[in-house]
Amino acid sequence: MSIADQALTADLAARDDMIVCTGVSKWFDDFQALKGVDVTVKDREVMVVLGPSGSGKSTLIRCINRLEVHQEGSIVVDGIELTNDTRNIERIRSEVGMVFQQFNLFPHLSVIDNITLAPVWVRKKSKVEAEQKAMELLERVGIPEQAQKYPGQLSGGQQQRVAIARSLAMEPKVMLFDEPTSALDPEMIAEVLDVMKDLARGGMTMMVVTHEMGFAREVADRLVFMESGEVVEVGTPEHFFTNPQEERTKLFLSQIL
Amino acid sequence: MTDVMTSPPPATRPAEPSSGSAIEWVRKNLFSSVGNTIQTLLFTGITLGLIRAILGQVFYEDANWASVATNLRLLMMYNYPSDQIVRVWVSAAIVLLAAGLSLGAWAVEPGYQVRRLGGHLVGIGIVSLVIRVLLPEHTPGVVATVLVVVGVVSVLLGVGVRRLNGNSDRVIPFGSLIAGICALFVAIVWFVPFGQYGLVDGTLIAESGVTVASSTKVPWTVLMVIVVVSHRIGLIVGRIIGSAMRRALSAFWVVGPAFIIFVVLRDPAFDWAHVWSTDIPMGAAFAIGGAALLYATTAPGRAEIARAVGAVIFAGALFNWVAAFFGWYPMLQKARLSFLLLAVAVLLAPAFAGDRATRRRVATMWIVAIAVIHWLITAINTESTLVITAPPFLGGFVLTVGIAYYVMLASFPLGVLLSLARTSRLPIFRVMSTAYIEVIRGIPLITVLFFFSIMLPLFLPKGMGISDLAAVFAGYTVFSAAYMAENVRGGLQSVRRGQYEAADALGLSTVQRTSLIVLPQALRVSIPNLVGQAIAVFKETSLIAIVGGFDLLRIANSTIPNQPDFLGQKRPGLMFISLLYFVFAYTMSKSSQRLEARLKDAQAR
Repeated sequence: MSIADQALTADLAARDDMIVCTGVSKWFDDFQALKGVDVTVKDREVMVVLGPSGSGKSTLIRCINRLEVHQEGSIVVDGIELTNDTRNIERIRSEVGMVFQQFNLFPHLSVIDNITLAPVWVRKKSKVEAEQKAMELLERVGIPEQAQKYPGQLSGGQQQRVAIARSLAMEPKVMLFDEPTSALDPEMIAEVLDVMKDLARGGMTMMVVTHEMGFAREVADRLVFMESGEVVEVGTPEHFFTNPQEERTKLFLSQIL
Repeated sequence: MTDVMTSPPPATRPAEPSSGSAIEWVRKNLFSSVGNTIQTLLFTGITLGLIRAILGQVFYEDANWASVATNLRLLMMYNYPSDQIVRVWVSAAIVLLAAGLSLGAWAVEPGYQVRRLGGHLVGIGIVSLVIRVLLPEHTPGVVATVLVVVGVVSVLLGVGVRRLNGNSDRVIPFGSLIAGICALFVAIVWFVPFGQYGLVDGTLIAESGVTVASSTKVPWTVLMVIVVVSHRIGLIVGRIIGSAMRRALSAFWVVGPAFIIFVVLRDPAFDWAHVWSTDIPMGAAFAIGGAALLYATTAPGRAEIARAVGAVIFAGALFNWVAAFFGWYPMLQKARLSFLLLAVAVLLAPAFAGDRATRRRVATMWIVAIAVIHWLITAINTESTLVITAPPFLGGFVLTVGIAYYVMLASFPLGVLLSLARTSRLPIFRVMSTAYIEVIRGIPLITVLFFFSIMLPLFLPKGMGISDLAAVFAGYTVFSAAYMAENVRGGLQSVRRGQYEAADALGLSTVQRTSLIVLPQALRVSIPNLVGQAIAVFKETSLIAIVGGFDLLRIANSTIPNQPDFLGQKRPGLMFISLLYFVFAYTMSKSSQRLEARLKDAQAR
């Protein structure tokens, strides 16, 4: 372990826990998608989740805001445990932003209405205030001129940037990204990744499922490698790309790099 | 949105052929080969034969179209007292005023290209001339003359318009289009000798062969002026305070027709002592008490309390309804209904929780709703000062439109709720809603109507009555809601799972997710089916005739043929009401297509 790595590990250990998953298991009928996963994401940490398809990485981050229900173990987000209590779920969901592979913008609302909807209805902000904030966010993701358009009129990259702005409008403490660039044409991937890098530099706690190794290497504080519902290896980018320990990790990295 | 309303013509549309290339077009498309030529000739022959056959039905040997022309008032209003007819005009004026304002406020601007106007005029002219040629021998001479005049004038006008317009894309503004149509209508009213005659107040008011048309000319002219002016006002005011105006107009379209039917057309005889001693105090109590309760329960973090209070009131309200059936203790219908409303409002309160301004708005909305509902119930339940010779004070076309309108209005939210219940995760809702929908869809409408108009009154508790009109309305609503539900369910299934997930991930509650994300998308998809159902509702109001209502069908089928002057004259009346139904159904269908196109344009997908 290099000196920089040690410094980072020490720094992370000193921070508060943001997401703590302990022994999380999840079944779809007979198929076990998660097998006792333990992962901790620290405050302001960027964690990238790697793994072959079907390894349970999407399922894991979807459990964190209760889009999927885990059957065993516990998930604690910012000190609140996810249980069946609807109030807790709604509270966690409003603290945790999520960006989907398929964008999932609301097609019947204009870009600005997509962004202001949740702040107005969930956070009970005034319309004017919410719109002001929305314009700032659109500025930040670089498409303020598209505010009045509908999602169907935007390119994939622009839609994903709107989706990020929509999540940020809730001022979340954590952002989850579920393969945010997988559905994009190659020339649009960079514009989305740039926004995400900017976000990471701003100190946002992020958990990112992605296949973009360049992004992982440049931005991630730590990487998690998952396979068949288990966490195989956790470590810094340097550790992963120079000196992976597990055979399965080596095999995966040799295939993807 | 404005760029969408004008619906610009597609740039790629080829210029319509001028007269020179028209022959070319005909040769290329109709006579390109031997087979094509045979087809063209064959189908032209069949079409002309069909027109001839229809004309033979319209102008058959002893057709007496005066049976329709002189019975127009009967067909529209049935036996509404003739000395009170001004109320009908006032009602029509209110509706048309609101329609004009709405068209303006929503900036409905279907562009009508000048080039198409020319084409349509030529088409109308040619069809008129073809009909003239195919007229049966015993057609009244005046019809032939009118057809020739209309045909020649239309063709000349059409050709003239196209010549003058050339190849430009000029569009006639919607305002001018309305004005033109209204002017044409006014001209027809003034120059065509309509008569009024028939069973008015139980007596015949005109000599046979003599028409009395003067009284409708001026009112119709005024109405048409109202349409044109109100559209103009709607456009101008809509630009300044658009959203407020649209909200007010939406409220009018929900409440207005009831106001017209039960207040303007019926004129309740208020027992003012009772109004002051009971109605107003009770209304005020519900308005103020409910508003305070809602203001308290919409505070953030009081969801649990709101649900508990709502459940208690709901239980109480339900008990009231059950108790009424057994006659345990009397309570005014209005109080029962208000308790139920209050329960629903309090149960929904958490979804509208917010800061002080939001809560004040919720409380205000409650007060307005209670005021309107209480006042309407009072007005509807109060007897009328209007002396009507026969019991149904509504009849004819007004009955058709009134019933159809309110059945659509009531069955739509009911259908939406049913479809949501059917797609719900809770088995109890799913089973109940599925059972309801499948049972109702398995029963013919006429059976449901018979049940509600004949059986239901027998089951009602002592002291509770239901008028024929209300019974038909209730039965028809129950029936139509099942079909509406299935249409909406189709739309609900088209909303992708990602939309639910995105809404959840943003922290929206289930009510918010349903009302803000899922339903708007589902309803958009369901528009064609919902309009189809609305058209069905409109047409099938004719079944009211069988359970005793005097609707268009009954008047045309049995009232007119029994008048001494028009004994046995069924066909003209039936053809006329068919045309009336068709015009309205076709308009609805066309507007739905336009609405769909507009929404699709707006989302550009």
